[in-house]
Amino acid sequence: MNQHIDPGSLRADDGIEKGGMLLHVDNISLSFGGVKAISDVSFDIKKGEIRAIIGPNGAGKTSMLNVINGFYHPQEGTITFRGEKRRRMKPHAAASQGIARTFQNIALFKGMTTLDNIMTGRMTLMHGNLLTQALWVGPAQREELAHRETVEKIIDFLEIEHIRKTPVGRLPYGLQKRVELGRALAADPALLLLDEPMAGMNLEEKEDMSRFVLDVNQQFGTTVALIEHDMGVVMDLSDRVVVLDYGRKIGDGTPDEVRNNQNVIDAYLGVSHD
Amino acid sequence: MSPDFLNFIETVLNGLMTGVMYSLVALGFVLIFKASGIFNFAQGVMALFAALTLVGLQTGQVPFAHLINAVLGTDVHHWGPGLPTVLAILVTMLVMIALAFLIEKVVLKHLVNQEPIILFMATIGLAYFLEGTGDLMWGADVKALDVGLPSGGSFWWEDVTRNWAPAGSDYFGMYIDTLDVSAAIIAVVLVVALTLFSQYTATGRALRAVADDHQAALSVGISLRSIWVIVWSIAGFVALVAGIMWGAKSGVQFSLSLIALKALPVLILGGFTSIPGAIVGGLIIGVGEKLAEAYVGPLVGGAVENWFAYMVALAFLLFRPQGLYGEKIIERI
Ligand SMILES: Nc1ncnc2c1ncn2[C@@H]1O[C@H](COP(=O)(O)OP(=O)(O)OP(=O)(O)O)[C@@H](O)[C@H]1O
Ligand SMILES: [Mg+2]
Repeated sequence: MNQHIDPGSLRADDGIEKGGMLLHVDNISLSFGGVKAISDVSFDIKKGEIRAIIGPNGAGKTSMLNVINGFYHPQEGTITFRGEKRRRMKPHAAASQGIARTFQNIALFKGMTTLDNIMTGRMTLMHGNLLTQALWVGPAQREELAHRETVEKIIDFLEIEHIRKTPVGRLPYGLQKRVELGRALAADPALLLLDEPMAGMNLEEKEDMSRFVLDVNQQFGTTVALIEHDMGVVMDLSDRVVVLDYGRKIGDGTPDEVRNNQNVIDAYLGVSHD
Repeated sequence: MSPDFLNFIETVLNGLMTGVMYSLVALGFVLIFKASGIFNFAQGVMALFAALTLVGLQTGQVPFAHLINAVLGTDVHHWGPGLPTVLAILVTMLVMIALAFLIEKVVLKHLVNQEPIILFMATIGLAYFLEGTGDLMWGADVKALDVGLPSGGSFWWEDVTRNWAPAGSDYFGMYIDTLDVSAAIIAVVLVVALTLFSQYTATGRALRAVADDHQAALSVGISLRSIWVIVWSIAGFVALVAGIMWGAKSGVQFSLSLIALKALPVLILGGFTSIPGAIVGGLIIGVGEKLAEAYVGPLVGGAVENWFAYMVALAFLLFRPQGLYGEKIIERI
């Protein structure tokens, strides 16, 4: 498979070299009332890499993704995406600048078909806004067809042709996860945030999903931030790993470095924190 | 067919026609509720406001004439013969879209993430505001609305049905109001158009997405604020259609806003989130109320039509609070 998902993409070239800094978060702190979800965490994501975020339950991984795509607004710190520094992201801005994501607890449009779900991923690549699209039906319809073509390619790529017209609420869990990945890919993302894409899958499904993530990264050069609990998967897929525990960063480096980091070993073995 | 049976059919048909009107108003509610979780108390007033504006434009009334006269001591009332009906309808639609923009800018934008009850109260405020504005702009007198739809009983249908009864029986045929028939046809066209729009356009897809999962919709970059403007514009359009129908039938008057109260039992029956529910619910209430009036009315001294819908709604609240098609909703309002 070497067709580009969207050769004419608006986001194909952002002037950042492969390996250059795509995103860095600095000194992020986030709390909910008394609960500190993230404390003073900094790390970066380089263009073209697969960056894993790992850590025990409640470590703040999902919260971190929510900060990056603007669902959560941190009390402290800054987020720099493609050289633009800001105190907080907004979901709409994040999406239109090419940050796409999947959710730990699948968030698909359950009543809609696979095809429609993935089409919504193209939203930010459509010209005009929802209002002008509603009024100028003709041009919008032509554009729709072009997007449809891209979406069909994604459907082929993810091997879900057979469920194109099925309402996703009826699909088994593993396939729903795949459709959700498809929706994120449809945005032709500059940064793809995956929150436990393999959780709850059997071995075969995990292997498929790993292959898709790897292919997306290698063939389209898509930068990926991946939260995953399965250490085997993390070690295989990722270029670099950041480790969170109780909202703090306790490790950052290549899979090998992280694996040999004493703090990380302690956190995973449940050594008491004091 | 026996005259009794034909009378029964006539009652059902008339019930269906009335039901279509209820469905139309309920539809406006459902659209907004699905997309934003807001129970729009102002839906009925929007229908009134649309109808007032339409009549005002059609007859060439000067908006705010009373106010202008009171302040400037002038005596303006009409600026001319008025706009042709089609143009007046288009301009009214533009006014409803502008209203949707205003509501988003002035009210909704500032109430994002608030409790549903707060949004509900905001729509109550909106209802009073719109009612007052309508009064101030166009005056409080009852106005006739004529958009050129046929009205009056259909002689053709009367003749056709007369022959269905056995020869010699004193059956004079069914009465059916042609205005009701046009209203029903227009309502069907409207519902089909809305369905096509939501199924086959990118904007429609975005609307469905937002109704399905807010957070996922945000993550793909759907702007909730645009969606709100669109949904309120569509609800404004539905209100305009409903306003035209009711206005043509019984004149444009402020009691029109009370049709919202009739929509409530329809919504309880059909479920607040279901478009088919709103339609079926409206038809059931319409037919049920006419049948009850015809067959139960004589036993209890009439006026069953006035409370029947609410009794059905009450029964549903007790035994099936989510309605015929709705999802669990009662805790949301
Ligand atoms: N919206 C919220 N309101 C209140 N507390 C929250 C919220 N979101 C997250 N938290 C809290 O923040 C902490 C970190 O949660 P988070 O979901 O980020 O962990 P995680 O690393 O993704 O865990 P898991 O592996 O279980 O998914 C937890 O204590 C959680 O309860
Ligand atoms: Mg999580």
